[in-house]
Amino acid sequence: MHLPLLNIIDTVRQLGWGGAFELLRNGIVLGSVYALIALGYTMVYGILKLLNFAHGDIYMVGAFLGYGVLSILGGPLAPTIAMVPLILLMFLGGMLGSGVLGVVVERFAYRPLRNAPRIAPLISALGVSFFLANSALLLTHGERFNYAMYQLGGDPNTGLPGPLNQPAFSVAGRPVTVVQVLVVSTSIALMIALTLLVSRTRLGKAMRATSYDREAASMMGIDTDRVIASTFFIGSVLAGAAGVMFGLYIGETYYLMGFLAGLKAFTAAVVGGIGSIPGAMVGGLLIGVTEAYAAGYVGGQWSDVAVFGILILFMLLRPSGLFGAKTIQKV
Amino acid sequence: MKKLSIVAMLGVLAVLATAATGASSATNALQAPTGSAGLANALVTCGTTRTIGIAYPATGPAASIGQQQFRWAQFFQTRWNKAHPKDKVKFVQGDTKLPDTAAALAVAHQFASNSSILGLVGPAGSQEVQDTVAVFKSAGLAVVSGSATRVLLTRSVGGDQRETPAGYFFRTVPNDGQQGDRVASYIASKLKKKRVYIIDDQESYSQGLADQVESNLKAKSGYTVGRDHVAQTVSDFSSVITRIPSNTQIVYIPWQLPPKAQLFYTQLRAAGKTATVFGSDGTFAPGTFTGAGSYVSAFPVDFNSKEIKAYRAAHGGQDEAFGLPTYSAAIVNAMAIMKACKNGTASRAEVRTNVKNIKVPKAASLLGFPVQFLSKNKGKQQGPGDMGGTADFAIFKIGAGGKYTRVG
Repeated sequence: MHLPLLNIIDTVRQLGWGGAFELLRNGIVLGSVYALIALGYTMVYGILKLLNFAHGDIYMVGAFLGYGVLSILGGPLAPTIAMVPLILLMFLGGMLGSGVLGVVVERFAYRPLRNAPRIAPLISALGVSFFLANSALLLTHGERFNYAMYQLGGDPNTGLPGPLNQPAFSVAGRPVTVVQVLVVSTSIALMIALTLLVSRTRLGKAMRATSYDREAASMMGIDTDRVIASTFFIGSVLAGAAGVMFGLYIGETYYLMGFLAGLKAFTAAVVGGIGSIPGAMVGGLLIGVTEAYAAGYVGGQWSDVAVFGILILFMLLRPSGLFGAKTIQKV
Repeated sequence: MKKLSIVAMLGVLAVLATAATGASSATNALQAPTGSAGLANALVTCGTTRTIGIAYPATGPAASIGQQQFRWAQFFQTRWNKAHPKDKVKFVQGDTKLPDTAAALAVAHQFASNSSILGLVGPAGSQEVQDTVAVFKSAGLAVVSGSATRVLLTRSVGGDQRETPAGYFFRTVPNDGQQGDRVASYIASKLKKKRVYIIDDQESYSQGLADQVESNLKAKSGYTVGRDHVAQTVSDFSSVITRIPSNTQIVYIPWQLPPKAQLFYTQLRAAGKTATVFGSDGTFAPGTFTGAGSYVSAFPVDFNSKEIKAYRAAHGGQDEAFGLPTYSAAIVNAMAIMKACKNGTASRAEVRTNVKNIKVPKAASLLGFPVQFLSKNKGKQQGPGDMGGTADFAIFKIGAGGKYTRVG
């Protein structure tokens, strides 16, 4: 009889160090995407104590906007401009569009409920989530769209990959592709930018003050409505970037993609300590790496079980999350 | 007196209203049902437009293929109504939200109690058929699916009993047993590859096919067959790809969603693995699954037929061939209803009897074979409700530029 544990040990042995690195690489890339989405959850929670369940759908919209820019500029098989400006424009379109959407959602779905019982904006968030997902369904007829970055700059006749899927370097004989480097480095750059914004700028100071005590901040002359709108804008910009990054790396965009990714990012925010920016980053990476190792060593069918198992464990053993108790930095 | 005349007038109005309601309902159902069970034999006045229910995933993760099925049904409706102005059909839609079988069940109850529905196209998934067929049976409706391919739906195998009552389930696609045999035989005898890795997407359709191919290959000597699973919601296959041994020659992915097959193909290549990808009819989608060098099993469609060309022209150059059997399922229903309506009225029981005996010629089915249903077991895999005759799967190879060429 083959016990499950023996199967796992067998797989670990078969995959070796090279396989272990490959899984770590996969997890870090995916975790970078989760971390960016988780930042939006954590920022909004930090400032409003609201779980913005529409955030995953803003990520979905960002992915669609990036795809839209790609399509307008000729698509991956026949782009009308060079690759670098093409990708920059995709990010710009996805991030700006998502940012504006986040502000609109805050203005019309959450601000009128600012002083209502906490359950009201939560229900409103769920409503916005369904509204966005179903609007996307109506607009796209449920089709799945493929960024097809594998083909960008490649040869469709030979099926050889384009530059984004060429190895940038190798570790233990396992390639790390250009797009994987791009996703992780973009994610790190955006996280550093956010950390600097929160810790070094007037807006960041206002965000921290509003997070600490909204009423007092208002009495000190801070325009809290503007600060909250800015928080939604920044969080949504990051979600838009995550959507485009997912499109570049994985390829697929469709109207329900925000649901599961949003839940996983929410898990990352909780694991990291909701309200904590470093917590969201670490939580995202932890969730991504857990998912990758569970899929690699135990089996693809177990990856979601492992991710949400971690959520349950943290809720039972450390509900404040990894960084929640210390609350080093809160917006 | 004045009061009396008012009461009398109200009485007359009430009688007229009752008569009007009765006349109105008589246009729909001559025999008033007491519940959906009573509708099985209820006679419905046919008129010039008859109603068919179509249960398909309009939303949910499988919406992309469900929408294809519906577009093919609409394409059929337009053509049929033009050719049969006195025997038109219209569709009542039900969104089964595959894989949400609770939604499929809700649609089943909705259709069962709608007395105007005489025939049924769908549901799409085998798991949906398993959960809804009892409801449809109690209402006397025949299930005619264009994509539910699980063997046990029509045939007892080993110790496992048939999962649908005979005479209530029909399909316009060959079943998984036929497809599994065809794929395993092609891998073994034509491709001559012995290291195969199979990944199912954890849905009933996919697991059935994967089991079939796995057991077929393992029964042959010298084969190394690995097996894995991924959830249908997964888009990042990188960690599953890590598990595939680097010397694997064929990766068989009997999945329901062609875009996922394309994602898997590109991620496999990006990981530097060169195994040939082999998909099932669920991944058969020229224009979507375009991985050069891959294989797909599907019905032997003639892409040059004028109907398919017309569909392509009307749908942005896409064949959307996964929806073709739904077109055939709609023909089966329309023909069965037209026959039952010859005397001006029809019941679901009559339509169901007609479905059993329907024959759709090869040219009209668009599937590459005629559609007619078996009334008894055939071979080791097929049972009543399966297609008889020459219905079987073909093998296509995807060439440069995503071109599909039949190779077996």
